[in-house]
Amino acid sequence: MSSDLYREICDFLYHEAYLLDTRQYKEWLELLSDDVEYRMPVRNTVEKKDDPFERQGYHLDESKVSLKTRVNRLYTNAAWVEDPPPRQRHYISNIVVEPGSTADECRVRSYFLFRRSRGSEQHAEELSGVRHDVLVKINGEWKIRERIIYTDHAVIPTMNLAMFL
Amino acid sequence: MGRGVTKKTLSVLKEKLSKGMLPQWVVTDPDIYELEVQGIFAKTWQFLAHESELPEPGSFLTRWIVNDPVLLVRNQNGEIKAFLNSCTHRGTILCAADHGNKRAFTCPYHGWTFNLDGELIGIIAGDKIYGEAMVKSEWNLRPIPRLESYRGMIFANLDPNAMSLEEYLGDMKWYFDIFFTRSDNGMEVIGVPQRWVAKANWKMTAENFNADPYHVQYTHRSTVEMGISPSDPLYASYGHQVVLQNGHGINVITGKEGRSRFQYQTLPESMWPMFKRNLSPVQDDILSRATVFVGGVFPNLSFVSPVHGTEGNLHNYLNFRLWRPLGPEKMEIWSWFFIDKDAPQEYKEESYRGYLGSFGTSGTLEQDDTETWARMVEANRGIMTRDKDLSYNNVVNYLMGFELLQPDPAFPGPGEAYPSTYNDSLARSLHETWLKYILAELERQEEEVE
Repeated sequence: MSSDLYREICDFLYHEAYLLDTRQYKEWLELLSDDVEYRMPVRNTVEKKDDPFERQGYHLDESKVSLKTRVNRLYTNAAWVEDPPPRQRHYISNIVVEPGSTADECRVRSYFLFRRSRGSEQHAEELSGVRHDVLVKINGEWKIRERIIYTDHAVIPTMNLAMFL
Repeated sequence: MGRGVTKKTLSVLKEKLSKGMLPQWVVTDPDIYELEVQGIFAKTWQFLAHESELPEPGSFLTRWIVNDPVLLVRNQNGEIKAFLNSCTHRGTILCAADHGNKRAFTCPYHGWTFNLDGELIGIIAGDKIYGEAMVKSEWNLRPIPRLESYRGMIFANLDPNAMSLEEYLGDMKWYFDIFFTRSDNGMEVIGVPQRWVAKANWKMTAENFNADPYHVQYTHRSTVEMGISPSDPLYASYGHQVVLQNGHGINVITGKEGRSRFQYQTLPESMWPMFKRNLSPVQDDILSRATVFVGGVFPNLSFVSPVHGTEGNLHNYLNFRLWRPLGPEKMEIWSWFFIDKDAPQEYKEESYRGYLGSFGTSGTLEQDDTETWARMVEANRGIMTRDKDLSYNNVVNYLMGFELLQPDPAFPGPGEAYPSTYNDSLARSLHETWLKYILAELERQEEEVE
């Protein structure tokens, strides 16, 4: 793994976070491949021997088409959840890049801390976890082909999951 | 408890309610909240789970009735039992996992062990330290006073003297049967319930779901802008709002012509003969022509069975949601996805994705609901909004359909069916039921003082 590639992937993820924070969702969609799989399974609190994601429940199980619908909705004049717009910040860290199955593919693990400030509320809502991505290079540009978001929370502490992670 | 809430303030409340108005102060008043916990949540049937979530002997779930931890288990005989999830030795939470499968539960504190029937079967160094005089069976897990099921839906009640679940549900059973008996193998929960915390009062969310199709045209206007919902602002009003006993109710939304464009809510045609076989002709007819069923069981269980998706990719599902209060301004929402066990696998998967897109944590409809719920809480903390003397005219409006709409005798199902779902009849019934419990609780507490 060259340090150039590592830097390229970090730049890509930071750019992605910036687009989301500035609510440029249509531009964000461009970073996803057309066959993207985007999932967030429901975490449960289970005993150590058991799998916290075993029962196949999801918060999100999206394709490019369904993500487009979600994004387009936020551009209507009646998506009250983002009007007035909340202030949001994606902190991305602990990035690890590993080679994928071809030269144009890599597997990326990154931590996220999402904070959202709504209205006059003093306390920002917070969400954290890890993302497992598969990135592919298509026509010279990196695209996200798969993202699985493993949140740390069994009970989601934000009042909705209107944000993209 | 109950300080600041007197029979006098409640009699003013009753009078306003009888005129289609609700004093705003009751929404998030802390004293009212205490009365609700004691007088409503400890007295009414509380939904805990569906039997499909406990697939085999040893399966367990941990749930909550407001602040009481509940351990639900399927024992070796396949029977479902519910216990207070608290060790009888020192009161520690016994089982900290959300679900799993076990033969016995051992408390991590001193190692007391209970079997699937809640019997105390092991005390570390038992006889040596407690002597033989201590009767182990006196220290079994404490059962939740009442546990009953209807069509696989498991409910509990903290009041040992409560009426039976079936009596409590009343005619809601007839409507539940449309979902739960239409298929040979009934309904199943897929995945696990989503859980999240919202800034909201449970009464307002229950009302929003059970009794308020009027909000659909504006809160969810984004779907109209996107061409998913019709542009006629009355689109969610066509059908009947059915007021049932005990504060329960359901809206049957059918479309302007009394028949949905989506026969049997888009459920596969291959299943229709089965529905006809299992349902009464009247139930089958209603199922065949409804677009949406949405309603609830008092106090805090709501459900919606919609058709969701974009043109050409429409699916139906049944969503249950429980509003677990965490205080007057906060709640934990539990949201379950149900589908017919007999539905084709592909339909189940598409339907699940349709659910994620519409309701639940990330649902696009639900996102906008959470915003309005929060705003209701935020407006209700002030001098004007909290004034119990109502000197600022701090009442909110439940006048829709008041003395204007009469029940439609032609509606074939049980209950008082009003010929429009843009109607506050069910909301008024919900708040009247609420008041009845609050009054009873206040009286009980006053007797206790005397």
